[in-house]
Amino acid sequence: MIPFTFDYYRPDTITEAVRAYKELEGAGRFPIYYSGGSEIISMARVNNIHTKAVIDLKAIPECTVFENNANELVMGSAVTLSAISEANYYPLLTKACGRIADHTMQCKITLGGNICGTIRYKEALLPLLLSDASVIIASGNKLATIPIHEIYNHRLNLKKGDFIVQFIIKNKYLSLPYFHIKKTKNEKIDYPALTLAAILDEGRVRLAFSGLCAFPFQSPKIDTAWNQEGLAADAKIHEMINHLPGPVLNDVYGSDTYRLFVLKTTLLNLEKELEKMPCSN
Amino acid sequence: MKTIGFDTLRKEAWDKVTGRAIYTGDEIKAGTLHARILISPHAHANIKSIDTSEALKVSGVKAVLTGQDCAVRIGSILEDRPPLAVGKVRHFGEPVALAVAFSERAAAEAVNKIKVEYVPLPEVFTPSEAVESTAPLVHENLSSYKKAVSDVYPEPNTNIAERVKIRKGDMAMGWAESEVIIEASFQLPKSDHIAMETRNAKAEILPDGEVIITTSSQAPFTVKKMISQYFNLEEGKVVVKTPLVGGGFGGKAAMTLEILAYLASKAVNGQAVKIAYTREEDIVSAPGSIGLEAKVKLGATKDGCLKAVEMTCLLDSGAYADIGPRMAKAIAVDCTGPYNVEHVCCDSLCVYTNRPYATSFRGFGHESYTFCMERSLDKLAQTLSMDPFDLRLKNAILPGSTTPTMVTSTTSNTGSLPACLERLKSLINWGEGSRIELGNGIVRAKGISSLWKTSDLPTDAISGALLTFNADGSINLSSGAVECGPGMKTTLAQILAETMKMDLSRIHVKLDVDTQVCPEHYKTVASMTTFMAGRAVQRAAEDLIRQLKSLGAVVLKCPPEDLDVAEEKVYQRHDPLKFIPFKDLVHGYQYPDGQSIEGQIMGRGSFIMSNLTTLNKDTGKGVAGPAWAVGAQAVEVEFDTKDFSYRLIHAATVIDAGKVLNPKTARGLITGGMCMGLGLATREAFEYGDQGEMLNTSLRTYKVMHIGQEPVYLVDFIETPQINAPFGARGLAEHGIIGIPAALANALSAAAQTELDQLPITPETIWQAKTGGKI
Repeated sequence: MIPFTFDYYRPDTITEAVRAYKELEGAGRFPIYYSGGSEIISMARVNNIHTKAVIDLKAIPECTVFENNANELVMGSAVTLSAISEANYYPLLTKACGRIADHTMQCKITLGGNICGTIRYKEALLPLLLSDASVIIASGNKLATIPIHEIYNHRLNLKKGDFIVQFIIKNKYLSLPYFHIKKTKNEKIDYPALTLAAILDEGRVRLAFSGLCAFPFQSPKIDTAWNQEGLAADAKIHEMINHLPGPVLNDVYGSDTYRLFVLKTTLLNLEKELEKMPCSN
Repeated sequence: MKTIGFDTLRKEAWDKVTGRAIYTGDEIKAGTLHARILISPHAHANIKSIDTSEALKVSGVKAVLTGQDCAVRIGSILEDRPPLAVGKVRHFGEPVALAVAFSERAAAEAVNKIKVEYVPLPEVFTPSEAVESTAPLVHENLSSYKKAVSDVYPEPNTNIAERVKIRKGDMAMGWAESEVIIEASFQLPKSDHIAMETRNAKAEILPDGEVIITTSSQAPFTVKKMISQYFNLEEGKVVVKTPLVGGGFGGKAAMTLEILAYLASKAVNGQAVKIAYTREEDIVSAPGSIGLEAKVKLGATKDGCLKAVEMTCLLDSGAYADIGPRMAKAIAVDCTGPYNVEHVCCDSLCVYTNRPYATSFRGFGHESYTFCMERSLDKLAQTLSMDPFDLRLKNAILPGSTTPTMVTSTTSNTGSLPACLERLKSLINWGEGSRIELGNGIVRAKGISSLWKTSDLPTDAISGALLTFNADGSINLSSGAVECGPGMKTTLAQILAETMKMDLSRIHVKLDVDTQVCPEHYKTVASMTTFMAGRAVQRAAEDLIRQLKSLGAVVLKCPPEDLDVAEEKVYQRHDPLKFIPFKDLVHGYQYPDGQSIEGQIMGRGSFIMSNLTTLNKDTGKGVAGPAWAVGAQAVEVEFDTKDFSYRLIHAATVIDAGKVLNPKTARGLITGGMCMGLGLATREAFEYGDQGEMLNTSLRTYKVMHIGQEPVYLVDFIETPQINAPFGARGLAEHGIIGIPAALANALSAAAQTELDQLPITPETIWQAKTGGKI
């Protein structure tokens, strides 16, 4: 039960949504965009968020688009994780979505919600970072297309009132060899001690991480360290750790040293997997 | 016609599988108000002030209560707990105030507007710190608290609520005879019951003063007595009703929300009030399980004969004692495990800390001390280079041995541990080796544990059964035992059907409990329902049979001793064709000319524990329970030596059940216990911040076992009858949990070749133990 009352808005168009936000914000209603609602509901019932108005984006056709055309995969921000898994256009993303919460929640949590919410792990983001996704943003009265690395760089750079409409991924990424491993404290359905996603693109490995630092990230420096020729895995890993973009998380899901241990064993495992891949060079 | 020993569908099965079964929260009468609580954000703090003025202004709010409005202290052993904090808070999550409103939302909004000023106090978080003479006191006036029982000994000006001592044999001799001595210490965290149904209760006070409480409780009769006692109400004026309970696991044996519901109703002129804990409140505000710190010292000869056991157990009871002193007793009573040890010294202390308080939990402390004892036995086996099975078999308790409280073991009161161990050995294929390297750094390993448990109920615990007939000859069965999942009402029906030699479908059971009409059953706890209520049902059935024969003798014109009953008939034993059906007798017999005799036949059966004694304060000598059930358990894991992760492959249990009454239900009960044990062993533990705030108060963060991550469960039974139990059946409802954490720890210690002496065991804790935390 949510211990406060709030108004519910369900705009049919992007313009209506943006306008509603602006008006409600001006009227001191602390509006929030709503899609799956799983995080809003669980936070609101324990007084961790407060709002007087939610704006449901699920009736906006652009936000629920989900199609793979000749060139690209278009995913509305309100597409659920379970829909993504079932369609399986992008196997790496399927894998990532399949390890976020449990199946009941996956039927509610949306791609946009996982990335814009306050829970820090945003594991659906990793495949999007690796595939250089484009993000369509509703910003004021217009739509803008922005590379994911610009809209997300250790934090989400969305202006107040803007929202994500779609994610677009070029088809070439959908079938690249990939690696996805999620390590938790012990229970399978839990936040990550480490989630590592990787793709192999023209012989070069790209890596993205969640659960290692306070935010998910993909780092050219770390990729470069990993892709060095002729360096032993241990040395590469040592160098990668030096390039981490922030302190390693240290909490009940895993101490900082343990997370580094998990990182190391996972990367050694990745190396073995890569050796097995025929397309690796 | 036989039902005992056959798979039997539980009586409430169809209601449950169709979602039609009714629990306390499912029905709410028009006009019911709702209450919500405000909880303490501090582990230990003085309450400087509480301002409820803004809360009272919330639309729909009828009343706001604080500790000042309810001047009682409650507790089933020591009366130490105010229903709402008075003066200070002693744990994170302690209820501080309560709002009553037309809707739950308005009550919650009001609670959010109560302003409390706290002045933090120094906290004490572990029992070993709490027993230090310099520790902050959780209860400054411990000696002033009223004792609810005579045999509890709180130590004034300390944090010690109870100290139970076992002094058996001569320790000096024990150590002198020991050629090998091992010592170990253990730490086990608190956790939660996580019953599917969170605690909830409703109360109303009728204009004539009658108090009606409906509650999800394992102890409706205790609720009745306590409410009557604390508020000076005539006991008959308090009626407690309990429909089906959605899981108890001991957590609903303590009175928690009933008193708040009553106080809330009283504050609104007796109107009906409902209060239901959210999952978060159920975890932090209602009691969970104890924590335990233990030191174990074992002495043995070189050939593995246990000579001396010395144990110190510090139970972390949290902020209030609740049933903690009795869990300290239960641990002491069974401290050695099911082994024959001549020299035993055990101090079992129930200690206050500033953690959320604890109550009974499946296993009643046995799941905790068994971990310590059975880990120690594996250490001893390793030191002696002895097979863990051989060590346990060599020391298994046998008829003629004495228990720690000096009860002489018999085949009837203990059953056969050796039979359980031998069966387990083949069930888990121990012969193939307990540690097998599969290559690529993967190891398969097995670990074992024995278990035993008796009950620690009051020496005068009672039960009863009432039977009435329908005109067609079928029987209605009423008992005060609560149906909280194990199908005990079906078990009672089986016992009745078997005794009456009639079809089980013709026994109708009253599934809910109403203290006004059901005969009292002490509490539905301690794996004692089949024994206590079953004995009462047997007596009630005998009462029916006697009356049936007596009336049948008149009708069939023969002495009653020539008659027997079966298949709803009273018949002549020497000429079964001479019979009269129940239906012609049970509502009175009518002669052809219309004259009638006797009237309704009703059966009553009563039971009280016999031959139990309190324990001697200095030596612990005494009889705590009527019998034990013994068993042996194993867990098999697949362990990855590279990253210290593991998978559960098999979990196995062999229990001496005495007699298996309902095989599938018994298997389900044992498996459920094993699953909970694996939860404790692998993931369940309260996590705290530096100030004692709890970090994992929801199921998003507090993890229990999930489907898909469980091992294959293997369950088997030995049947050594307990002669004074219904059809020989021993209590076994809790027992599946007891040895599992130890068996898993023994398996993983063998797999990782390191000593794992804390729970839960995660890849990180193994990595810590094995490498000291090296990357």
